[in-house]
Parts: sequence; C-alpha cells; structure tokens
Amino acid sequence: MSRMKKNQNEIAISEAELSSMTHELDVMHKETFSGVKKSLDDFSANLSHLAAGRPAARRSFLLGAGGLAVIGGVAACSSSGGGASKSSTSGGGSSSSGSPYTGDLKVVALAAALENLAVAAYGMALTAAGKGTYGAVPPAVATFVTTAMGQHKDHAAAWNGVLTKAGLKPVTTPALSITNAEVAKLQAAKTIPDVARVALSLENAAAETYTFATANVTDIGGIMTAAAIQPVEAMHAAILSFVIGEYPVPASFIGVDMAVQPSALTA
Amino acid sequence: MVESSDLQSDAMHSARTDLNNYVDAAKEARFESRRDLKIGGALLGAGAIGAAALAFAGPASASSKDIMALQTAAGIENLAVFTYNTALTLPFIGGSSALPVVKAFVQMTVKQHTEHGQAFNAAVAKLGGKKQTGTDPKYTPIVQKAAPGLKGPADVIGLAITLEDVAAQTYTANVGQVSTSDLRQLFSSVAGVEAQHRAILLAVQALVGAGLVSQIKLPPDAAKLPAAAGSVGFPDAFYSTTKAAPVAEGAVS
Repeated sequence: MSRMKKNQNEIAISEAELSSMTHELDVMHKETFSGVKKSLDDFSANLSHLAAGRPAARRSFLLGAGGLAVIGGVAACSSSGGGASKSSTSGGGSSSSGSPYTGDLKVVALAAALENLAVAAYGMALTAAGKGTYGAVPPAVATFVTTAMGQHKDHAAAWNGVLTKAGLKPVTTPALSITNAEVAKLQAAKTIPDVARVALSLENAAAETYTFATANVTDIGGIMTAAAIQPVEAMHAAILSFVIGEYPVPASFIGVDMAVQPSALTA
Repeated sequence: MVESSDLQSDAMHSARTDLNNYVDAAKEARFESRRDLKIGGALLGAGAIGAAALAFAGPASASSKDIMALQTAAGIENLAVFTYNTALTLPFIGGSSALPVVKAFVQMTVKQHTEHGQAFNAAVAKLGGKKQTGTDPKYTPIVQKAAPGLKGPADVIGLAITLEDVAAQTYTANVGQVSTSDLRQLFSSVAGVEAQHRAILLAVQALVGAGLVSQIKLPPDAAKLPAAAGSVGFPDAFYSTTKAAPVAEGAVS
C-alpha cells in the first residue's frame, strides 16, 4: 500500500483533477440510481404476489396494459435456445429443481448469484494481492477492483431487494454451477493479467446474461433493471480488455452466446 | 486487430440472425394484432368494439413506435459516423500527428456505428418504414457548432463521449419501449457497445487530462496510471436514461 500511496503522490495534480471528476460522476450515479430504484420498485410490486400465491393484474410489457401476465416463461425460453451454451456455462447446467425461484424470479436469483460471484472474485483477487501473489499492484488496478466490486454489490443488493419483497430469501452466495470452475481459475492466477482475464470472462458473461434477460424476462421493471446494468458490465469488460492489451470493443453487438443459463442457478 | 476483426465478424453473423428474428417477430406481432381485432370483433360483438379497438391500438401503435425508435437510432448512428469521420480529417486524430491507437480506435468505431445504423435501417425497411439516412435532428446542430472548435484530441473526445452516452442511454431506454423481445435484445446489444466506446473514451480523456498521452496504448503501463484512472471509465453502477432521445426524435415518414 505504501508503494501505491507513493505513486499517487507523484501525480498529485492529475489525481486531484481525476478525483474531482470521480466526485462529479458519483453525484451522477446517485441521480441515476433513483431511476433504477423506481424500476426495481415497480418490479417488486409486480412480483410480490407470487410468494403469497395471489393473482395480480401486473403491468405486462408483452400483453399490453391491463393484461394478466404469466410469470414463468423465462426458464422455458432459456431451454429453447435463447442463449447460453459456451464458455461461461462450462461448469454444466445443474438443475435447481425444487428451487423457490421460478420464472422471472429465477432470472432475478440468477442475476444476484452472478453478481455475488463477481464480488467474490474481486474479493479473492484483493486478498491474493494483499498477500503479494501478483507482485506490486498498480494503484489504478486496485481502484478498478474496488470500484467494480462496489458496483457489483450494488447490483446484487438491487436484485436481492426484489427477492426479499417477493417474500423469498435473498441469494447471498455465488450459487451457480460455474462457481467452482471460476474459483479454480482465480486460484491458478499468478499475475494481474491472469486475474484480469478471469474477471473479463465473468464481466462478459454478466453482460451477455443481462442482454439475454432483456429479451426473456416478462416484467418491464425487470427488463429495465437488466437493461440498466448490462452496459455497466460491458464497460467493466472494456476497461479490463484495455488493461490486458486486447482491443476493448471487440464486437459491434453484445452477444448472448456466453450468457449464463437460468439452469446454472443452484439456489 | 486481426483477431478483433474475426470477433466482429462472428458478432455480425449473430447480429444478422438476431435481426431476422426480431423483424419476423415484429411482423408477426402486427399480423397478430390485426387478427386479434377481427376475431375479437366477431366474438365479442358490437358492445365490445371499444375493447377490441384497444387491443388493436396497443400492438399496432407499438409497432409504429418500433419503427420510430429504429429510425431515431439510425439517425444517431449516422451522426456518430459523420462525427468520427470528420474527426479523422483532423491531423491529431486521423493525420500525421495522431496516435496510431487512437486513429485505429476511431476507424473501428466508425465501422461499428456504420453496422449499427445498417442494422437499424434494415429493420426499419423490413417493417415497412422509411430508412433514416439523415442524422439526428437534435444533436446534428450541436456537432456542427462544435466542429470548428475541435482544436485538439480533448475536444474530439469530449464531443464523442456526449454522442456515445446519448446513444447508450437512448437504446437502454428503447429496451423498455419496443414491442418484441428480439427488438429489446437488439437495442440492448447495441447499448452495451456504445457504453464500451464511452468507457474507453472516458479513460482516454482522463489520460489526456493527466498528461499521460504516452499511456494511450495497448496495453498501458498500469503502474504509471493514476489511481483514479481505474474507475473513471464506469462512473455509474446503473446506466442512466435521463438523456435518452425521445422515440420520435429522428423519425421520418
């Protein structure tokens, strides 16, 4: 840490300017969050009848105003080839039959678990960095990890808020069939670029999962929440690519081939 | 860059498949809405005409809204292409004094925005609308006004950040405004890419501002970057839509 502090002091003026920019951006973030919170509140209101087994006149995006939406299409959509099959699902798609999370709420639980995995991955990286596993850690890398981790915590909290309001337990662990494989990759990482590649894979998987979710979640609040998080994961991925030395915007369209399937949820 | 081109080619193939899917889905939605009206009218009788008309008005107006959203998006893409191409005529972006990595980024970004515009306009045409070949009416005067004042990389980067952010916010909002799942996925898939452009531009802006132009390379020397540079590329945990263009902003008929 002392080395990091030293480096920061060497570029005090630039740092001050950048800190100022960061503060302004933090204010923007708070303003932005109010809009997302409304989406989440709408989503929660629409989903809260599920746990109680009540029917609800939800505001259905697909059926039009006043239509009665049937939550439950997401799992069916995913099994019909909506996306994921490649890298991020390499751990296989163990079934979570008997899971309390169904339909849109299964995607919400999946999203929470994915965010938890990202938080855990960055946390593992910080711990390993503290032990000197990767050698000296540049201050910018440390800032990236802590900031990205914080945003993933925000995402997880948002999704878990929906589950809680629906009367379900929040997903507080990376309850995914891919988790062990990702942890193994992190444990094998010995350099900053190694870790960054694992993180890049997770960020890309998250971005593609949310892209998939925008097409397969039925509730407008859930759709918009996924839509608002997807670009952020994509931005994380771009910066990681930049740091690794890969072209940061490699494709014209975010795909869904690396999306994590709802069947990967083990909660 | 070769690998990047391969990746892009794969993505384009996927995007074309998606494009066909969502155009088919949107057409189907329009057909279904008309059939529903007919069946609804026959089954429900005259007393229910109001309700049936509502059922028609929903999906049908949503479809025309789809076309407007796609046209507006195409106009934004056309403006982005125009802006970056203008930037490439400047010596410090596309000329002899330009950083090679910056020039390459701008060229690739032009290509990507061109493909976005083509995708949006192809969808417009297949849905029976008129292609938007012009540029976004709100931001075009802003770019035109800014163009003479582009005296250095920071000026261009600032303008590009604005356009990329408007694009990303617009498409994020569009996800909740269009009528089919395929359209939602298309807008989302492009929103993420515009956000990535913005992330890199924000990082480059920070490096230029910090006098670290030498670190605008792949990869940078991470040890020489200021700590704040690690987070400046993704300022928000949730992407805003407050600057999203209205659906009809770039619509043409």
